[in-house]
Amino acid sequence: MQKKNLGRALAGAVAASLALSVVTLTGSAASAAPKKMVGIAFDLGGKEQPGFNQLAYIGFKAFLKKHPGWVEKDLQGNAADTDASRAQRLKLLIAAGANPVVVVGYSYENALKTVAKANPRVKFAIVDDNIAGAKNVEGLLFKAEQGSYLVGAAAALTSKTKSVGFIGGVNIPLIQAFEAGFKAGVAKIDSTIKYQSAYASNPPDFSGFNAPDKGHESALGMFQNGADVVYSAAGSTGQGAHKAASEQKKWSIGVDADEALYASNAPYKSAILTSALKNVDVGVASFLNDVVANKFKPDAHLFDATNGGVGFTTTGNYLPADVVAKVKALLKQIASGAIVVPTDPTTVALPQG
Amino acid sequence: MSALKESRLWRILTSPSRMMITVSAVIILISVVRQFTGINDITSPGATGATIRFTIPLLMAGLGGLWAERSGVINIGLEGMMILGTWFGAWFGYLYGPWVGIFAGAVGGALAGLLHAILTVRVGIDQAVSGLAINLLGAGTARFLSGVFFIGAGGDVNVSPQVKSIGSFTIPGLSPFLTHLGEKHILVVSDVAGVLAGFVTSINWASLFMFLALPITSWILWKTRFGLRMRFCGENPVAAESLGVNVYRTRYIALAVSGALAGLGGAYISVVVTGNYLEGQTAGRGYIGLAAVIFGNWQPAGVLAGSLLFGLTDALRVRQSTSVHALLLVVIALAAVYGISKLRKKDWKGFSINIGIAGVVLAYYLINKVVPDEFVTFFPNLTTILVLAFLSQRLRPPAMAGAPYRKGEES
Repeated sequence: MQKKNLGRALAGAVAASLALSVVTLTGSAASAAPKKMVGIAFDLGGKEQPGFNQLAYIGFKAFLKKHPGWVEKDLQGNAADTDASRAQRLKLLIAAGANPVVVVGYSYENALKTVAKANPRVKFAIVDDNIAGAKNVEGLLFKAEQGSYLVGAAAALTSKTKSVGFIGGVNIPLIQAFEAGFKAGVAKIDSTIKYQSAYASNPPDFSGFNAPDKGHESALGMFQNGADVVYSAAGSTGQGAHKAASEQKKWSIGVDADEALYASNAPYKSAILTSALKNVDVGVASFLNDVVANKFKPDAHLFDATNGGVGFTTTGNYLPADVVAKVKALLKQIASGAIVVPTDPTTVALPQG
Repeated sequence: MSALKESRLWRILTSPSRMMITVSAVIILISVVRQFTGINDITSPGATGATIRFTIPLLMAGLGGLWAERSGVINIGLEGMMILGTWFGAWFGYLYGPWVGIFAGAVGGALAGLLHAILTVRVGIDQAVSGLAINLLGAGTARFLSGVFFIGAGGDVNVSPQVKSIGSFTIPGLSPFLTHLGEKHILVVSDVAGVLAGFVTSINWASLFMFLALPITSWILWKTRFGLRMRFCGENPVAAESLGVNVYRTRYIALAVSGALAGLGGAYISVVVTGNYLEGQTAGRGYIGLAAVIFGNWQPAGVLAGSLLFGLTDALRVRQSTSVHALLLVVIALAAVYGISKLRKKDWKGFSINIGIAGVVLAYYLINKVVPDEFVTFFPNLTTILVLAFLSQRLRPPAMAGAPYRKGEES
């Protein structure tokens, strides 16, 4: 009898200690549980390299700062990427527990189509693209032509030789929209201004976004043929145009982000008149905040003059106050719909420079 | 072959005086076209300068290809060697200044060249396979090294920090004089002056230094004992070995030089032209260098001509798209003159074909304002293909380039 009691007591003690250990286990498990994770997959170019990757990363980091409960995971693209390797990258992020996931660049379109379908519970945003019909993808689209319109007007107001130039990275509709906006902005101020344009490469050759040598020669050619302001919508190629402008004591205009702040443009800073902003950071932050606030909506989300999606910079104060005022007035007119910016450069007529 | 030898083209190409007359005629023709269209950029100093800067990397890659193939080894790995050149050039240029960078670029390329030599000459791997492997290796190594070295130094996995620029020189007196003359737009005089001005105005020291590789290559390959032996290895390594030439050693040296030249071309792009390393900035120039070797019939001057073809097209295209359109008039005039010359021999067929070509191009010229950019980009490649197709009888590659060779074995 005593023995039985002892046995019960022992069993009870074991059970209790087991239960206790289970409790402590779950307790420690709860405190070490992974935080909520947000993932981002970059396009070719690098997250710290100036351009839309970096802008997306800025928006991404701004969100993380506001929401300390979240951790990040990011993966970078490379030059040898295929649809398969991009899809693999997205799957890696999801496997690590990332949700939501930001996907930078339209090159991910095909990869995202399949991955989004296979992971309906993960919410995605894709920059510069939209996947119609996908219930868990928000397309972050930017009216880039509106920002280009603003710097086009600034260029026309600044040009003393009444001649301006445009350098596009790759001759594709996405970049042609930049040209159309720029051209229309120039024509709005003065339709007698001479105009030159060049594209660094033609599809399927996409090296034009990564060819500062061509940007340099293009801009030199335009300057030597009379232009004194050149706008580049060409990624790293624009760096060459800034170099040419600083050598020739002319003006260059940047794109996407404030190019005067780029480390790689530091030697040419004083030649960068302004930059056409395409605020990818605003788009990315908006998507992440919507997800957290349970306000996520799939399909296209347009960022333009009405919601801070586009703009222009005044770093260095090279634009006089009256020019800034005029360009700001144009921004308001675009936002109100009084000015509709074209996306096809052939619809705007300017004399060939 | 005999028909070709009797042709006008052959006689022009083989006679210096005829060559001079032809070149002068083309200059006058271009000058007239420039005057007529008002597209003054065609013969401007700026266009010449741009052509030089686009041509140099291609020339270096081409000379690298020439060294390799003349010694009997095909070098498809030029692109990878150039990539290493851009990386080493930018990193050491950032650390120790641009000239050290250029030297380091050559070393980086030479290391890859030696690897190609070990793989093909010693191990006996297929030359094309080894070359492709080196291209992949070059790109991968550069990215890996970038991740290790650039990130802490203000760069990223695909971009290096900035390199200080190398100075350039302008010949005082001559440059302003020629530039001024060029801007007068006088027929012929201004065109010649404009182009010449491009050669004496803000020429980068590195451009001059690299260009020297052309005459030096020419001299070594055709005037020295080593050059003779090297070409011998490319033509008949078995015979060369039997006469006491160390084929293996010769090919090792030739491939190291080949890689060094390609590396110099890469360093030129990263250090001189852009001022930093960017992933993918060589953009296939190594392959274009190979095309220039074929176009140039495995001769240094020919490699220069091939590189110029690509360089000039790029320069005109990115500077002013209207330039290429204006050059269509030159094509029209050449076709018309050639067609009319056929009349003398009562060659009605030749006459109508050439006049037909002139007519079609003229119609195109009048209807369109620009030549599609896609076509312009493709034009030098097309020319190379045409050269291969129509002049392949006249092309003379080194007889045993690409053939495996083992010491002591008849191949």
